[in-house]
Amino acid sequence: MGVEGKTYPAVDALIEPERVTAFVHAIGADPADGVPPTFAAVYSLGVTAPQLFGDPEATIDFAKLLHADQEFEWERHPKPGETVTSQGRVVSDISRRGMRFVTFETHTTAEDGSGVCRSRALFVIRP
Amino acid sequence: MTRAERTVTFTNEQIAAYAEASGDHNPIHLDGAFARSVGLPGIIAHGMLQMGILGCVASEAAGGARRLRRLYCRFAGMVEPGYTVTFSAEDAGPGKLSLSAINQRGEPALTKASAEYL
Repeated sequence: MGVEGKTYPAVDALIEPERVTAFVHAIGADPADGVPPTFAAVYSLGVTAPQLFGDPEATIDFAKLLHADQEFEWERHPKPGETVTSQGRVVSDISRRGMRFVTFETHTTAEDGSGVCRSRALFVIRP
Repeated sequence: MTRAERTVTFTNEQIAAYAEASGDHNPIHLDGAFARSVGLPGIIAHGMLQMGILGCVASEAAGGARRLRRLYCRFAGMVEPGYTVTFSAEDAGPGKLSLSAINQRGEPALTKASAEYL
């Protein structure tokens, strides 16, 4: 039901070095360790979730939205200056006792099509 | 190393820095009046900021961020500015880590947290 199975257009994301530096600083990562793994919050989840939230068909009330859990799986971590492509898809959209549970998966690939990251977020929308 | 720990006291400045760096400008993380208007006690930290710190601790235990292959957590408790959260990673078998994030009252901020590495 809802928007289950809906796939959104792929989005390109440049791994901006300045943004990586700011992110490293904000989370207290080791700058020598390169792009922090959870920078996937930006290049994977971050560029695709707004498509879901802004989709009139999905009717997600942002004020009632909770990010309930998050998983990232990496084949590798991107490099600063690299451009990756992320595509989001609604894996499931279930309503139970007034609560709505939306599982949103994003697959991020490199320019040569090889896999980089898979993000899986569970969003709960309160009544 | 297969054990790592970090204790962080969250501040408005760190939360604002994460909003800026991540691009997540949801006002519940930046505007106390707005946060209270949607039933929250005030500004709360991004779950993804907590997960970011958890990822640093997991990376350290894994022997480097490049080795991390999977990270999972459930956002279980709100973290407000002034909260002190201890993030830790422990060996859970070959290539696996068990992770936790516990606030100053001994309550979990993140649950079911785990990681895998190469």
